[in-house]
Amino acid sequence: MQEYSSQAAYDRGEAVCVIGAGASGLIAVKNLRENGFEVDCYERDTVLGGLWNPQNQHSPLYPNTHLVTSRSQTEIPDFPMPDDWPDYPSAAQMLAYLTSYAKHFGLSEHIWYGSEISHVEPVDGSRFEVVVKPAAGNAARRLRYAAVIIATGHHWSPNLPSYPGLDQFRGSVLHSSQLKDPSRLRGKHVLVVGGGNSGADIACEAAVNAASCVHSVRRGSWHLPKYLGGEPSDYALARLASRPKFLRRFLTDRLLKGPAALAARMGVAAEGRPLEEEPVRNGRYMEHVGDGSIQRRGEVARFDGFDVAFADGTEMRPDLVVLATGYRPKFTSVDPKLLGIEGDSPYPKLYARMFSPHKETLAVAGLVEPGVGVLPIVHWQTHAIAHWLLVRKSDPERAANFRVQVRSEAEQDTARPAGSSPRHQLAVDAEQYLASLGRIIDTLEQEPAK
Amino acid sequence: MSLAAWVRRARTPAPAPVKREYAFFEPADLFDLEIKDDPEASPVLCCTGDPAGAAAFNALWLKRIATSGRYAAAVSVRGQGGTPAAEGGLEARAHDLVQAAVTVPRQAVLIGHKEGAAWAALAAGRYPTAGLVLVSPRQVPKQPPRPVGAPPVLLVVAESETQSKEAQAVADAYGTAPLTFAGSPDDVFKGAGAEGLLDAILSWLAAGKKD
Ligand SMILES: Cc1cc2nc3c(=O)[nH]c(=O)nc-3n(C[C@H](O)[C@H](O)[C@H](O)COP(=O)(O)OP(=O)(O)OC[C@H]3O[C@@H](n4cnc5c(N)ncnc54)[C@H](O)[C@@H]3O)c2cc1C
Ligand SMILES: NC(=O)c1ccc[n+]([C@@H]2O[C@H](COP(=O)([O-])OP(=O)(O)OC[C@H]3O[C@@H](n4cnc5c(N)ncnc54)[C@H](OP(=O)(O)O)[C@@H]3O)[C@@H](O)[C@H]2O)c1
Repeated sequence: MQEYSSQAAYDRGEAVCVIGAGASGLIAVKNLRENGFEVDCYERDTVLGGLWNPQNQHSPLYPNTHLVTSRSQTEIPDFPMPDDWPDYPSAAQMLAYLTSYAKHFGLSEHIWYGSEISHVEPVDGSRFEVVVKPAAGNAARRLRYAAVIIATGHHWSPNLPSYPGLDQFRGSVLHSSQLKDPSRLRGKHVLVVGGGNSGADIACEAAVNAASCVHSVRRGSWHLPKYLGGEPSDYALARLASRPKFLRRFLTDRLLKGPAALAARMGVAAEGRPLEEEPVRNGRYMEHVGDGSIQRRGEVARFDGFDVAFADGTEMRPDLVVLATGYRPKFTSVDPKLLGIEGDSPYPKLYARMFSPHKETLAVAGLVEPGVGVLPIVHWQTHAIAHWLLVRKSDPERAANFRVQVRSEAEQDTARPAGSSPRHQLAVDAEQYLASLGRIIDTLEQEPAK
Repeated sequence: MSLAAWVRRARTPAPAPVKREYAFFEPADLFDLEIKDDPEASPVLCCTGDPAGAAAFNALWLKRIATSGRYAAAVSVRGQGGTPAAEGGLEARAHDLVQAAVTVPRQAVLIGHKEGAAWAALAAGRYPTAGLVLVSPRQVPKQPPRPVGAPPVLLVVAESETQSKEAQAVADAYGTAPLTFAGSPDDVFKGAGAEGLLDAILSWLAAGKKD
């Protein structure tokens, strides 16, 4: 592609624009290409792999990040990970895997690196004009596409809590995504805030590397070890999902009995049904609580000079505070209304968690927290999106029926409470969501009625 | 592959991993300046029901395929050649083949001979092969999975097999008419019959090249 002036938009005809070359973007490019689409993928960073690539400026990887979902539940359905890899591959292996996926399917030649999309504007009915933010000294490029798929991830804009006195705190404060180097923990008195996977993982790193580790959580959460009954936990639990409902509940409770008792003993148990919310998956955490190398505390009340006061009245003087308080989705390039974002909430409301409620040719890939491997879900999402774009072109009548179905799937979806914290806006029940994706794909793949 | 098929597989115990034996040949290995690696041409991965496994393709096939500018590889599935035996039937061998396919640098054409054709047929149901070539197939399931990504499919059978029920069934399952080669289905690794067969496959691959 040559350089285009800022004036005239270059029309890419039927081509599809994918924004982001993380796992979701790569899978989208592969599946669109497989269905015959021309694709241009824009990546603001200079590398692929998104958050799994430590060279990505926004990567939130912290020391020793490993998958929390097991290999068989994380790999892309049509491109398995090597079967001699461990059950829980490292972040480096995840990047090697995504790199070999891109190489195997020749994806790189469709990716434009160092190209941040600054604006996406609907034009001519269902088409989009996309603006590529200019690199220093160049003019912005404008291109037109038949469809846009947003795969920009939702783990790079930190969710930062505000506490009285935090601004004047005299120790260091980092978000979990800024920790990077494990040596930052060494010899320090560390306070980790936040009870998600990041918080638990970092508390465990601090337990072995720091002088002391206090872990503050505002409520309990479900904890799963990485293995249950001799198998990776997610696999063991997923296997139960194919059993009849009454049996599943019984077997699940039986499998979780030990871990639940341990969590109760350590005082970290959550309320409600097991696994109603995404659990923390960490095999080491309980051991560290058990041997005192992680001390649990309740919510932080305020910061005061060098000190931190907790809601229970206790205090401590940390050298380093790590806020593992998660992320907020952020969409910078597209009018939030097109994604169903209303009011103050940063959370989109999409049909089937992927289709814009207002534009048929705008979709988002990977904007779910399924509590299981994300990549397979994105594979089926983008499979559905690609087939939708095909059907829309070839069979308007079927396309119209399909929109009705997707809307009704969306309504079923909101009927279900998705967890109690704002972050659970993106949570889906993997079992139900996959079933819904299955119905969508079946409809799209049916032979057109003659 | 359908979503339902994937869900089922992801919840079934995976076959025990084995250290697989490979044979491969790259165009550069020929030390022939005339022959260049063709970046547009899909690599080829072969397997056979013959107990020799990957080694069976050493005599003629791999070199010949590399001469056409393609990366050529063959794999021994569990229990063949230098690959240790391990539990698992057809499914586990298809797993071995998929595992081999993803180690090939680019999207690969799968060539399966005899029982190898059955493994290739199953593998193509879960890996988007660039092309599926079934040579004198044996034990292909009556309803093989629909190949992922709708690759072109080639069925080649020996002249003596053209009327066989098995060949017919495979032809019907894929909606394709078989090509024939002179010679015996068991004698495809060297000799004039093998040369003819390879020529047919390579020209089919060259014709199907996407541009
Ligand atoms: C610490 C951590 C651990 C995790 N562990 C697991 C796990 O064990 N198992 C699992 O399944 N999932 C895990 N996840 C979830 C993870 O989100 C997914 O696995 C997956 O990496 C998501 O990929 P993505 O492509 O959607 O997002 P990202 O990887 O964030 O990629 C988005 C890409 O878009 C680019 N981009 C953003 N905005 C623009 C723009 N305007 N223009 C151009 N490019 C842009 C970014 O640079 C980035 O490369 C984890 C997440 C975190 C944070
Ligand atoms: N190793 C891995 O594979 C791995 C590691 C880390 C993360 N991840 C994934 O990445 C995603 C993000 O994980 P995460 O752990 O970074 O974030 P997260 O799951 O969103 O958890 C954030 C934690 O911070 C708490 N929190 C939020 N705001 C707070 C506030 N104002 N005051 C006190 N506590 C607050 C939350 O409590 P509430 O529950 O009360 O809101 C929650 O415990 C998840 O999908 C996770 O599974 C995976």
